[in-house]
Amino acid sequence: MRLAFIARRLAMLAASLLVASFVIFGALYLAPGNPIAALSGGRSLPPSSLKILEARYHLNQSFLAQYWYWLSNAVHGNLGISITLRENVTTLIASRIWTTAGLVLYASLIILVLGIGMGLIGGLRPGLLDTSVLVSSAVSAAIPSFVAAIVLITLFAVKLRWFPALGNGTDLASNLRHFTLPAFALALSSLAIVARVTRSAIREEADREHVQTAVSRGIPRRQLVRRHILRNAAIPITTISGITIASLIAVAAVVETAFSMNGLGAYLVTSAQDKDLAVVQGISLVLVTAFVVINVAVDLAYAVLDPRVALGSRAT
Amino acid sequence: MARRTSQRAAMCVAAAATAAALALAACGRSATGGGTTGNLSPTKGLVVTTPTGTKPVSSVTWAVYRDVNSLDPIFAFDYPENTAVSLMCESLLKQAPTGAIGPGLATLSTPSLTTMVFTINKAAKFWDGKPVTPADVVYSLDRNRNTSLGGFYGLVFSRVASIAATGADQVTITLKQPDYWLPGELASMPGVVIEKAFAQKEGKKYGTPSGSIMCTGAYKLKSFTPGVGVSAVPSPNYWQPSVKPLVSSILLKGVASDTSLTSGLTTNAIQGTYTSGGLSTLPQLESSGAVKIYRGQGWSTDAFIVSSTKGVLGDVRVREALSMALNRNAIISNVFKGAALMPRWLANPGVFGYGKPAFDKAYSASPLLPHNLARAKQLVKAAGAVGKTFTIGTSSQIANIAQETGAYEAAANAIGLKTVLKSVSAQNYINFFIDPKARTGIDGFLTVNYGDYADPAALLATLVLPGGSQNYDNFNDPKIISLLGQARSTADPNARAALVAKAEERAAAELPWIPDVQPVNLLIMTKGLTGATASFAYMFAPWANNLGGS
Repeated sequence: MRLAFIARRLAMLAASLLVASFVIFGALYLAPGNPIAALSGGRSLPPSSLKILEARYHLNQSFLAQYWYWLSNAVHGNLGISITLRENVTTLIASRIWTTAGLVLYASLIILVLGIGMGLIGGLRPGLLDTSVLVSSAVSAAIPSFVAAIVLITLFAVKLRWFPALGNGTDLASNLRHFTLPAFALALSSLAIVARVTRSAIREEADREHVQTAVSRGIPRRQLVRRHILRNAAIPITTISGITIASLIAVAAVVETAFSMNGLGAYLVTSAQDKDLAVVQGISLVLVTAFVVINVAVDLAYAVLDPRVALGSRAT
Repeated sequence: MARRTSQRAAMCVAAAATAAALALAACGRSATGGGTTGNLSPTKGLVVTTPTGTKPVSSVTWAVYRDVNSLDPIFAFDYPENTAVSLMCESLLKQAPTGAIGPGLATLSTPSLTTMVFTINKAAKFWDGKPVTPADVVYSLDRNRNTSLGGFYGLVFSRVASIAATGADQVTITLKQPDYWLPGELASMPGVVIEKAFAQKEGKKYGTPSGSIMCTGAYKLKSFTPGVGVSAVPSPNYWQPSVKPLVSSILLKGVASDTSLTSGLTTNAIQGTYTSGGLSTLPQLESSGAVKIYRGQGWSTDAFIVSSTKGVLGDVRVREALSMALNRNAIISNVFKGAALMPRWLANPGVFGYGKPAFDKAYSASPLLPHNLARAKQLVKAAGAVGKTFTIGTSSQIANIAQETGAYEAAANAIGLKTVLKSVSAQNYINFFIDPKARTGIDGFLTVNYGDYADPAALLATLVLPGGSQNYDNFNDPKIISLLGQARSTADPNARAALVAKAEERAAAELPWIPDVQPVNLLIMTKGLTGATASFAYMFAPWANNLGGS
């Protein structure tokens, strides 16, 4: 059962990667601009040099031939060479993947702990606490990451000097310091959404008949919350957490740029601007894979949380 | 015929909210100084160097507008690569901070008009201690000419017949025609000397992140990690004993936006940077007290490229009228926050690297490009252009370009012309420069442009000579062509300068491009750091040899 599920998911992953790589390759191919021109900064090159550079990067071949060339190499683990850096794409991605992974992980922790925490408080403690959760989540949901980044830098880096304004840091302790502001900038709006969904899921469960019955039977509140409310509210919370965390991968580009971090997202943006095809393809594959993996993890979590949910079928 | 198209620098400027209305009148005025008094230096108030550092500094993070892509001089074409290569490598001849060309790794003598003999300094050696040989020099220069390497400087050597080792410490360049522009190029990226044996061993990896480089400078490469930066440390084998590098580690780091740069500088995460494309956050930096800002001589020109003469801009009277109606003071205060000069020629007066007396005299005698709405309206009427339309290629995503486009729209409307904008994305702006299709239907677009060395001719030649890389619509003025042709073959610097000055005067009247303003080269360092070159020469010659604590 589980093996079949994983095999099915792997096949879906392969199909997604193939389709995504073709679409991205095609889109970049059609987009205006020329990688050689971007490379030479508009400096006019003698035609002979141009020909050599075009042949080196297979730019003189047809679209399908170029795609086929890239695909057959990629299948063999060779993601090609960056035109702008003249370096293996695998090496370039490897040196940056931990920044994005660390950032997304840190932001996910913030979202899970604070978002679900706030949602629980709001859902279980109507009154002033709930109102403040509602207000603060409404405000933070409205703040896009790039605005959050600017505000956080101005306040905590420039004015208060608590955290560094840019860069990655060199060791674990300084990494944590460097990653804190970006992680909050990234997490802020998703955190609000998770808090709100958590809150309403808990409210909904708390109003259910079986919970009301349990209350009338005098079951202690702790047990009531844990077994009757949280357990049932866990499915929508997991769903929304999974979706928001997966979406962080895409938003990370904005935050990485704002904080001058060497992550994959920021690199994807600059490579797309330079029409550095091999790099764009390589990073896209990594991001698509991560997205699919997170979704599989969410599906597995459903099965654990609710034995009635069959693997692979979406819970509601 | 080398040239730079530095529109990328303009692109790097973030679309951060600029308080356009807050014109810093004081800065604007001090920057426009010079007036019409004839005997003032045109670059008065601008510096070329900063006080030499005296104390050791453990580390410096220096910002460039994006990550460095290559450390191979034949691929160094834009600010980040030039800054990195000039930090660590040296060329045959050297541009002083004033732009004057003098001996570098070699001394130049010219026994005949078509022969250049380079005598290599016997002390010169690479980081690994090996001496610089004629074979290294010939190899390095030939890499530019070898089309299979795909370098960007091949055309610089168009008048070269041969490059050969002619003695134990001698290299001779034989020319097809006299070429007094070549020494300037050899004092720039095309003249950088690398170690032949090392480069051959590295092969294609030379200058890439996984490869390495072998140069002769006071700072040597420690690491090149994409996304992190280029790290350089003092070379223990540096061949000039008078130079004592004081910074234990310099990291060149790509910082994409004005906001990141500013918060980095004010929080000491970044200790220095150069900028000349118009920094939107300059007022904040000036008032922060965390940094010292030097106003260095710039070499670049902010101009409107007239890319088509088929339309209404084909009439020189209309171009002149547009120039007269343009509010340059607003550009200086709003876009450059005061860090730019009013133009007299297309050339920035910071590029007078030779024949300075001749250039200064001619420049001071030329008037500032005038602002005169009444006269401009008359010109448009005389040209029969009232109510006619021209199209500006622009990008609303590049704040500086968008603001200057607005200035041109206002100028056109004020004199009875109409404008249409064709806006493209920031990353496609480059296509106006390189793709004839992108220029179809466009009458002109904006640029910040510079040549490879301190000579007004370096930029001018690219747009007025037939076949010039930025001569987009066959601009063909026999007088300018003849003046520049003579200049290129004239040995005497003052005589050459006089010829180039005449060409510039004519270009200021004919307006193949309309000069907007002349950017100042800003050098920004945190307090306590000093010694970096302040002029635009940092792009082409070591700029951190005197860097240190004060």
